[in-house]
Amino acid sequence: MEVANEVAMDDKAKRMRDLLSSFYSPDPNNNNNNSNNVSSRFATLDTINTTSFDADQYMNLLVQKSNLEGLLQRHVEMAAEIKNLDTDLQMLVYENYNKFVSATDTIKRMKNNIVGMETNMEQLLEKIMSVQSKSDGVNTSLFEKREHIEKLHRTRNLLRKVQFIYDLPARLAKCIKSEAYADAVKYYTGAMPIFKAYGDSSFQDCKRASEEAIAVITTNLQGKLFSDSESIQARAEAVMLLKQLNFPVDNLKAQLFEKLEQFLVDLHLESKEIPHTSADQGNLRESATSAAHEASIREFAEAVRAYRVIFHDSEQQLSRLAQNLPKMHFEATQQHIKTQLASCDLVAMLRIIWTDVLLMDEVLPEAGLRDFTMEAADVAVKQYIASRFSHLLLDISGAVVKVGNQMEGVEEENCLQATLEASKKAVLQGSMDVLLDFRQLLDENLELLSKLRDLVVDWVQEGFQDFFKKLNDHFLLLSGKKYPSGQDLSFREGIQGDKILPALVLVLAQLSVFVEQNAIPRITEDIASFFSGGGSRGYENGPAFVPAEICRTFRAAGEKFLQHYINMRTQKISVVLNKRFTTPNWVKHKEPREVHMFVDLLLQEVDSIVKEVESILPEGVNRKHRRTDSSGSTTSSRSNPLRDDRMVQSNTQKARSQLLESHLAKLFKQKMEIFTKVEHTQESVITTIAKLCLKSLQEFARLQTFNRSGFQQIQLDIHFLKTTLKDTADDEAAVDFLLDEVIVAAAERCLDPIPLEPSILDRLTQAKLAKTREQGPTS
Amino acid sequence: MQGGSNGVGYGLKYQARCIADVKADTDHTSFLTGTLSLKEENEVHLIRLSSTGTELICEGLFSHPNEIWDLASCPFDQRIFSTVFSSGETYGAAIWQIPELYGQLNSPQLERIASLDAHSSKIKCTLWWPTGRHDMLVSIDEQNLFLWSFDTSKKNAQVQSQESAGVLHSLSGGAWDPHDYNALALTSESSVQLWDLRTMKKTNSIDHPHVRNLDYNVKRKYMLVTAEDESGIHIWDLRMLKFPVLDLPGHTHWTWTVKCNPEYEDLILSAGTDSAVNLWLASPPSGDKPTTESFDSPYKPVDPLLNSYSDYEDSVYGLAWSCREPWIFASLSYDGRVVVESTKPHLPRK
Repeated sequence: MEVANEVAMDDKAKRMRDLLSSFYSPDPNNNNNNSNNVSSRFATLDTINTTSFDADQYMNLLVQKSNLEGLLQRHVEMAAEIKNLDTDLQMLVYENYNKFVSATDTIKRMKNNIVGMETNMEQLLEKIMSVQSKSDGVNTSLFEKREHIEKLHRTRNLLRKVQFIYDLPARLAKCIKSEAYADAVKYYTGAMPIFKAYGDSSFQDCKRASEEAIAVITTNLQGKLFSDSESIQARAEAVMLLKQLNFPVDNLKAQLFEKLEQFLVDLHLESKEIPHTSADQGNLRESATSAAHEASIREFAEAVRAYRVIFHDSEQQLSRLAQNLPKMHFEATQQHIKTQLASCDLVAMLRIIWTDVLLMDEVLPEAGLRDFTMEAADVAVKQYIASRFSHLLLDISGAVVKVGNQMEGVEEENCLQATLEASKKAVLQGSMDVLLDFRQLLDENLELLSKLRDLVVDWVQEGFQDFFKKLNDHFLLLSGKKYPSGQDLSFREGIQGDKILPALVLVLAQLSVFVEQNAIPRITEDIASFFSGGGSRGYENGPAFVPAEICRTFRAAGEKFLQHYINMRTQKISVVLNKRFTTPNWVKHKEPREVHMFVDLLLQEVDSIVKEVESILPEGVNRKHRRTDSSGSTTSSRSNPLRDDRMVQSNTQKARSQLLESHLAKLFKQKMEIFTKVEHTQESVITTIAKLCLKSLQEFARLQTFNRSGFQQIQLDIHFLKTTLKDTADDEAAVDFLLDEVIVAAAERCLDPIPLEPSILDRLTQAKLAKTREQGPTS
Repeated sequence: MQGGSNGVGYGLKYQARCIADVKADTDHTSFLTGTLSLKEENEVHLIRLSSTGTELICEGLFSHPNEIWDLASCPFDQRIFSTVFSSGETYGAAIWQIPELYGQLNSPQLERIASLDAHSSKIKCTLWWPTGRHDMLVSIDEQNLFLWSFDTSKKNAQVQSQESAGVLHSLSGGAWDPHDYNALALTSESSVQLWDLRTMKKTNSIDHPHVRNLDYNVKRKYMLVTAEDESGIHIWDLRMLKFPVLDLPGHTHWTWTVKCNPEYEDLILSAGTDSAVNLWLASPPSGDKPTTESFDSPYKPVDPLLNSYSDYEDSVYGLAWSCREPWIFASLSYDGRVVVESTKPHLPRK
C-alpha cells in the first residue's frame, strides 16, 4: 500500500504522499535525504518507487534508454498502475474517516456515564470508617484475657517438666527392667540441666534416686561391654551410652585392651607348644591342636574387630598389638631354628603364622601385618638356612673328630675307615639333606615363601659357598694348620688338650679329596637343577655358588693335609732317630753285636703308618699287584727266606767296595730325584715318608763323629733296614740310594771308616731276622 | 747382575757347613767360610766378590786346627771372627784375628786372640751383636749360656756371666736381637727361649718343638723367624707368642736355616737339606686384615715363594746375606761349594 501511495506524478500527489509517509513511516526525512542524494548521482529506472524520484530525470533516462516501442509499452503499463493507485488512495481515505466518526461517538458516551460517580464514592468511605471503629473495640476488650491464657500455658509446661523429673527414677527403673538403656540415658541426660540447676535444693531426692538408677545402668552397661556374648553393636552402643553419661571410657578401653593382650599372651604359649606336640605325637593330635589354635586366633581376631568397632580411634594401638602376634610367632620359630628343625616343621610353622596373619589382616588391614610378616619370614628363613649350614658343619666335624676318640680302640684301621666313610657320608648325605630341606621350602605353595623364592635361592647358593669355606677353615683348624682367631679360641682349646692325631689329618686329606671330587659335583648338579635363578644379587657379581673355586680350595687343602700328615709322621720318626743319634757316645762306641733296637722302633712306626695309610688312602693304579705280596706289613719279606738270602748275598758283595762304589756312583749318577710330588695313594705317601725318614737318618749321621765301631753299627743297622724296608716302599731305587747315602754319611764322619766284614754283617742280620721271626708269632 | 740366576761359584776343598758375611768390610762384599773335615787339615777361606760381581776371589786362606762347626764374623772389625770347632771328643770355641799383611805372607797363620774355654759340654755356636759395636760375645753350649766381655785391644775375653738353661733343655743355637742387645733367643729341643742378658734369666718362651734355626727380622721389631725340621718356617710376633703370625711351607725335607734380609723387609732366605735355597717374601698380616678379606681373597694369595734355587748337589747348611749389597747372598752346600747369587731378578717391583 505504501508503494501505491507513493506513486504520484504531480506536486499535489507528492505533497499528499509526503504527508502520508510522515504519518506512517517513522523517519521520512532521513529517507528522503538519502534517496535524494542517491537519485542525483545514480539515475536508474528503478528509482520510481523511492521518495527521491525525479520525474524529469526519469523521463530523460527512459527516453534515452528505450526505443519507441518500449516507451509505448511503458506508457501503457504506467497508466494502468496509476489507475490502481488512485483507487487504493480513495479506499484509504475512506477508512480513516470511518475511524474518526466512531471515536467521536465514544467520547460522547463517556461524557454521559461519569456523572453519578461522586456520590458512590462518598458512601464507600463512610462504611469503611465504621468497620474500623468496631474492630478497635473488639481488640481492646479481648487483650486482658489473652495475656492470662499465655501465662497459664507456660505454667502448664513447667508443671509437666517437674512431673517428668519426679517420674524420672521410676521411669529409669522401668527402663532398667526392660533394658532400654538408651531411653534411660536419653531421659537422664534430658533431666541433667535441671538437676544441675536445682539438684541441691528442690529435687534432691529425685536426683539421688535417679543417680542411683543411673549407677545401676552404668554397671550394667559395663557388664554388657565386657561380656563377649553380647553382639558387637550392643557393646558399641553401651560404650556410646557410657560416654554420654560422662563415664571415664578410657579406663574401660585400657582394661579391654589389656584383656586382648592377655589373650595374645595365652595364645603365644599355645603356639610355642605346637611344634613339640607335632614332633612327638601323631597327626591326629597335631591337627587337633592346630584346629584349636586356629579357633583361638579367630576368637582373637573377632575380639580385635569388636574392639575396633567399639573404640573408633584405636587402630594404632591395635596395630601394635596385632604386630605382636607374628612377632611372638617368629620368636618362637627362631628358638626352634636354634635347635635343629626340619624344613617341613618350619613350613608348618610358617603356614600357621600366615593363616593367623591373614585372619588378622582381614580384621585389621591398617596394621600392615602382611608386610610385617614378610619381613619377619625373610629373616627367619635366612636364619634357618644359616642354622642348617652350621648344624651340618657341626655334624661333619663331629663325624671327623670321632677319629680322635676311637683311636684307642682295638681295631684301629677298621675304625679309621669307618670314620672316613662316616665323614664322607656326613658331608654328602648331610649336604643332600640340606638341599632337600631347602627344596621343600621352595616347593611349598605358601604365598609367604613363594615371594621369598629368589632370595632363598640366593641364600642357598651363598650358604653353600660360605659353608664350604667354613668347612675348609674348620678342617684347617682341626688339623692345627690354622690358628684360631677370636671367637673360636675356646673351641680350639678343647682340641688342643689332646694333640692332633696324624690319622685325623689323613682323614681330613682324604675327605678334602672326596669333597672336591664327589661332593661338589653332586651339589653343583643339584643346585643347578633346583636352585638356579635367583638374581637379586645382580649379574655383575655372578652366581653366589662357585664350585670351581671351592674345588680349587679343597684340592689345595687336600694336598696341604697330606703334606701335613707326612710332616707329622716324619716328625715322630725324627724324634726316634734323634734320640738314637744324640744319646750314645759314638766316638767310644763298642763293637756292634746286633742290630740296634731303634730299627725295631723305626719299623714299628713305619708299620703303623702303613696300616693307617692303607685303611684310608686308595691304592695307586700302577702298582695293583703290590698289595697282594705286601699286605700292609713286613711279614712277606720274612716269609720269603730264599729271596732274602740271595739279597743278602749280593749285599755282602756290595759292602766291600761300597764306599768307593757309592762315591763313583755319585759322580756319574744323575742327581737322584728323591723328593717327588706326593699323590693321594698309599704307595706315594708311604714311599715319601720312607724317603724323608732315610734322608733324616743321613742328616743325623752327618752331625755325629763316629769311631770305627760306631760306623760299623750304623752299617749293620742300615743293612738290616735294606732288607726290611724294600717291600714297604715303592720306589726301591731311591730307597736303596738313600740307605747307601746314610752309610756314606757315616763313613765320612768316621775317624776310621773300615766297614764290617760282609760275613759278619750277614750273620748279624740273619740273627736279627730270626729273632723277629721268633717274636713275630708270639706278639 | 750378569748371569741371571746362575750364581757365582767357589769350591772349597772339603765339606763345609758354615759361611758368614764379613759385615765390617765396607769396601768389598766378602764372606768367611770354614771347612768341616775330620781327617784333613781344615781351612778358613776369606772370599771376596769381584767388583764386577762375576767372580769369587780367594782373599785369604788360613789353616784352622779343627773342623769348624760354626763361624761368626765380628760386625765391627773385619779381621776378627769366632769359630766353634771340635775334633772327635774335644770341642772348643775361639776368637781369631786375621794377620795384617796376610797377602804378603806365604802361609799366614791365624792369631788366636781369645779362647772361649769355660764350656763343659759341646759348644753349639757363638753370637756377636749384629747391629753395631758391642764388646760382648755370647756362646752357647748344650746346656749353658755364656756372656763374654771381649776387649779388642787387650785381646782377651772374660766370662761376664753364665747361666744354665737346665739339663733337660738341650740348646742347639740362638740369635741376638738386633734391636735390643739385652735380648736373646735360644733354640732348645722343645721350645724357643727368650732371654734377658741383664738378669740372665729366661723371660719368655715359645712352646714350639723342633726349631732348628731362628733369626730376628732386622727391619721389623718383635718379628722372629724360626725354621723347623719338618714343619717349615714360622714367623712370630714376640708380643703374641701363642700362635705364629705366618707359616711358610719351608723345604721338602728339613729347613736347616733361615736368614732375614738386612735391608728388605719381609725378605727371607731359607736353606734346606733338600738341596735347595728358597727365597720368600712373607708379609705377616697387619692388624685388622683378616676381617676385611672376602671369600675370594684367601684363595688367590700371592705365592710367598719368590724363587727356589735348587742347583745344589747336597744339603745346604750355610747361608749368609751380604750387608753391603743386601740383594746378594752366599750359600754353602755340604760338598763345599759356595754359591753367591743375586736375588735382584726375583724381587718384586716396588
